[in-house]
Amino acid sequence: MSFIEVNNLSKAYRISKRKSGIPGMVANLIAPKYERKEAVRDISFSIEKGEMVGFVGPNGAGKSTTIKMLSGILYPDSGSIKVGEFVPYKQRKKYVGNIGVVFGQKSQLQWDLPVEDSFELLKAIYSIPDDVYRKNVDRFTEMLDMSGFINQPVRQLSLGQRMRADIASSLLHSPEIVFFDEPTIGVDVVGKEAIRKFIRELNREDKVTMIFTTHDMQDIEKTCNRLVVINDGTLIYDGELNGIRSLNGEARLLDVFFSEDTAVAPIKNVQIIDIDNRHRQFVFDGQKVMINDLMSELLKKYNVKDINIAEPDIESIIRKIYNREKVLA
Amino acid sequence: MNDTLHLMTVYSKTTARAWFQYRVDAVLRSLAVFARESTGIIVIYFTLLKFNSLNGWNIYELLFLYSLIFLTYGIMIIFFTGLRDFGNMVREGSFDRFVLRPRGILFQIIFVNSDWFAAIGHGGLGITLFLISAGKVGVHWNIYNALYYLFAVIGGVLIQGAVFLFIATLNIYLIETGSIKELLYWNVRKFAGYPISIFNKGVQFLMIYIMPYAFVNYFPAQFLLRKEDMSQYPEIYLYLTPIVGVGMYLLAYAFWLYSLKYYKSSGN
Repeated sequence: MSFIEVNNLSKAYRISKRKSGIPGMVANLIAPKYERKEAVRDISFSIEKGEMVGFVGPNGAGKSTTIKMLSGILYPDSGSIKVGEFVPYKQRKKYVGNIGVVFGQKSQLQWDLPVEDSFELLKAIYSIPDDVYRKNVDRFTEMLDMSGFINQPVRQLSLGQRMRADIASSLLHSPEIVFFDEPTIGVDVVGKEAIRKFIRELNREDKVTMIFTTHDMQDIEKTCNRLVVINDGTLIYDGELNGIRSLNGEARLLDVFFSEDTAVAPIKNVQIIDIDNRHRQFVFDGQKVMINDLMSELLKKYNVKDINIAEPDIESIIRKIYNREKVLA
Repeated sequence: MNDTLHLMTVYSKTTARAWFQYRVDAVLRSLAVFARESTGIIVIYFTLLKFNSLNGWNIYELLFLYSLIFLTYGIMIIFFTGLRDFGNMVREGSFDRFVLRPRGILFQIIFVNSDWFAAIGHGGLGITLFLISAGKVGVHWNIYNALYYLFAVIGGVLIQGAVFLFIATLNIYLIETGSIKELLYWNVRKFAGYPISIFNKGVQFLMIYIMPYAFVNYFPAQFLLRKEDMSQYPEIYLYLTPIVGVGMYLLAYAFWLYSLKYYKSSGN
């Protein structure tokens, strides 16, 4: 029995189908038409204590709906969720005391008050014992470098500072699971790095289970060891972060610049991408095409100025998977 | 229990601190509410100087009738500011945050924000009107009448709270309910400044059985003043305010609980 068990989870929304224009508006008012949208279809997975799992998928893929069901905000239509001893959507009050949720787009801090006042309020809401509270505030203040702004009103903070304070505020009650919904959105590179470092440390030291949703693949690559890809409501990949590379075969990419306008003849087993007349990319499976053979062929036939070998980044692999059907690992 | 009380204190402190970030605005806000609501009364006052009485009610009796509206609203808004602003919470999605905290959802909405300045504006006007009129309307303020008054105020607070809760709950289904509130609550409230006996049957029906403002101020005032126009209504109505209040509130609360399940299963 894993810490988090999700079995055959499904959820559909009823969305009103709006027609445009004034006649459409009147028609909607009198006889609204609804459409069923299956946001999540038959998803199953399990997560062990202390794991860090990244959920990725395009907008509207169903990741937020999945996370909302896991955190107890939404009821599933069918299927089951068990987290530790709790069923999130049934035992809300007991369950949510054990989880923390960070929404990158929605702050839970009091806009007009110093950060520390928001912390005090959360201490009362979660009934955090004095010693635990003090210990956590001191520790997070140091780890997230918040001492410079903890007494400033939230409205005066930069986005990066606010995000750090928001993350700390979701962790004050020492939750067992933390959900991060786009925790680095809009934060600059340095800020992102600080947040990722903090998350890694916290996971290592406290064995907190962490679940991410993000559009920034860097977030996942730098924190998670497991990746779940959701597209169109279904789970299309669940496994190690590195595993997704081999899923695509040993994908390789040659980036070639020619010294003059060059037309390239088709090559067997190689996909050629035209960037412009002097710049082309050759994508192939390293097990089917030997890189040396391909390179020497290119050098022999054409006037090559520069050549780079690259491994496609995870982002482009995932984009490829989105466009393909189910490939379970 | 102790824990809950502690949380309530922290909530109020947080609210107060946030308000006092803008001190001048805070004071002006109370004044603005007070002034805005007073103008309606001043109009009545000068009208009455010409007519002497309205269906047998003299100016002090009318002010007494009016005072109950403001007093009950002032108390109600301390508790139900969160419900007044509930539409915004649902639209912005901050409602999800309440679901994610280990406390009662309605409890959080009630205590997360209290508009003390609206409360002082309305309640202050209610108390002012009461002080002006209470000695001049011939009510003998013995313990019996004082207790009646207390229960009538509690009932009036609950009636308006129930309406706020009901309209807030509609937000879960409709997202935007501003015009329903305007139509049902604020318009009817304008009638409530006068004895309901001066209106036609339709308006009277509305104010007794649909949006029962009559139980917030007319019937309680009648219990104490015993004006002649009471003869057209059942005597028992004089005693029903607390029951109507508790009944309506429980109904609204049941509707709220039912709708929360709907929110959870329908999402956005």
